Amino acid sequence: MKPVLLEFHNVVKSYGDRILLHVNEFDVIQGFCTLVSGDNGAGKTTLLKILAGLLKPERADVVVNGIQLSWHKARIRFLKNIAFVHQDPYMLDTTVERNLAYGLRMARVPKDQIEDKVAEGLHWARLDHLMHRKAKRLSGGEKQRVALTRARILAPRALILDEPTANMDLQSRIATYQLIQQLRDEGMAVVVASHDRSGLEPLADRHLQLTGGKLVPVDMVARHHPSIDNVTRFPRN
Amino acid sequence: MEHVNQAIVQALTLLFSGDPELWTIIRISFGVSLQAILYATPLALLIAFLLAHGRFPGQQTLITIFHTLLAVPAVVVGLTLYIVLSHTGPLGSLDLLFTQTAMIVGQVLLSFPILVAMGHSALSASDTRAWETARSLGAPPWRSMLTVMYEVRFGLFAAVIAAFGRIIAEVGCSLMVGGNILNFTRNITTAIAMETTKGEFARGIALGIVLLVLALLLNFTLTAMRTRLDWVR
Repeated sequence: MKPVLLEFHNVVKSYGDRILLHVNEFDVIQGFCTLVSGDNGAGKTTLLKILAGLLKPERADVVVNGIQLSWHKARIRFLKNIAFVHQDPYMLDTTVERNLAYGLRMARVPKDQIEDKVAEGLHWARLDHLMHRKAKRLSGGEKQRVALTRARILAPRALILDEPTANMDLQSRIATYQLIQQLRDEGMAVVVASHDRSGLEPLADRHLQLTGGKLVPVDMVARHHPSIDNVTRFPRN
Repeated sequence: MEHVNQAIVQALTLLFSGDPELWTIIRISFGVSLQAILYATPLALLIAFLLAHGRFPGQQTLITIFHTLLAVPAVVVGLTLYIVLSHTGPLGSLDLLFTQTAMIVGQVLLSFPILVAMGHSALSASDTRAWETARSLGAPPWRSMLTVMYEVRFGLFAAVIAAFGRIIAEVGCSLMVGGNILNFTRNITTAIAMETTKGEFARGIALGIVLLVLALLLNFTLTAMRTRLDWVR
């Protein structure tokens, strides 16, 4: 059975009088890919940003490694250990190489190690030829791959992806699927919000649908992990 | 017309002959204004960032106040500062009236609303994903703020240049709190005002040329930045 990294209970987020999210239970599991689907405006991005520590919910009970933490303390851990990639990933106004090095510089990794890690990351995503290109001028597919590599290079415990294959051509989508699969296989917890069910369901270990602010499991045959039976029951709404 | 031509030739001669009095005035002008912009910019941009990205009570009121302060004339700032720094004023004991420090304080006050208002506009237009990306990549809040500022650096440079252009060209505040003392607080604009009343047009024109060249340079810099911004996008 794979270890549960994070557990969220009673997550509530509202905008004005409207309750957007009321998720009873959700967990993030190591080496496990969770697909979250839902209609436009269902709250997928909001949920993902809460998971990544970028958005504060009105209420959330968070358990990290079996210990219940306040939102403030949990958020600090999320920001250190969880990487979030936007639907249209933001590229810093510099080269691809410096985009990849950004997080490592923030973590005060020595300069020679940064160079090695960036080179390895570029090779991993087959982006070597883009190393010195201005990141803002890349295509959508290239930006997504750079963003995935930029996140992976930090070796986060979990990766949160918002519509990673939106507006992509088939070739870029396939390249992105491959990278997501590799990340999952490397032991990273991956949570993906997407409309691209046909492309991402084969990669996912479970599929949850966000509807009416609640997460509902979608029937799916466990394909990748025998341990899936332990977790497909989540959330217990 | 011949009189004007003569004055222009004399002005150019004064400039290129390295007239010590003229160049001292220019040095004082740049020294005071550069120091003022240097002191004002960090705090002003921090406030601009908080106004653009923070959520706190009175935020809109503060934004309105800073926009209103843009229209305050330099002489009003000079008058207020004069009252505060005069011997009977609350800060009279500091003995700062008619010093370069008083001129710097005055120019900080003049540049501050420009830096905050224009900085706020530039930072409000920044992409929220820049902040989220920086935070998600492990940058602490202060470093994420610097990253966002870097992303809109051309807009912020424009704010700094506009503020610098305003304070180096102002005359009212410098005259009131600096006192136009030769080799001490006499700057380009107070010297031009004085030389004109004396009928010494050559010196006034020479200093005017310096301000015009500066204005041209600042505008070229701004245009170059805008061009670069368009190219990046």
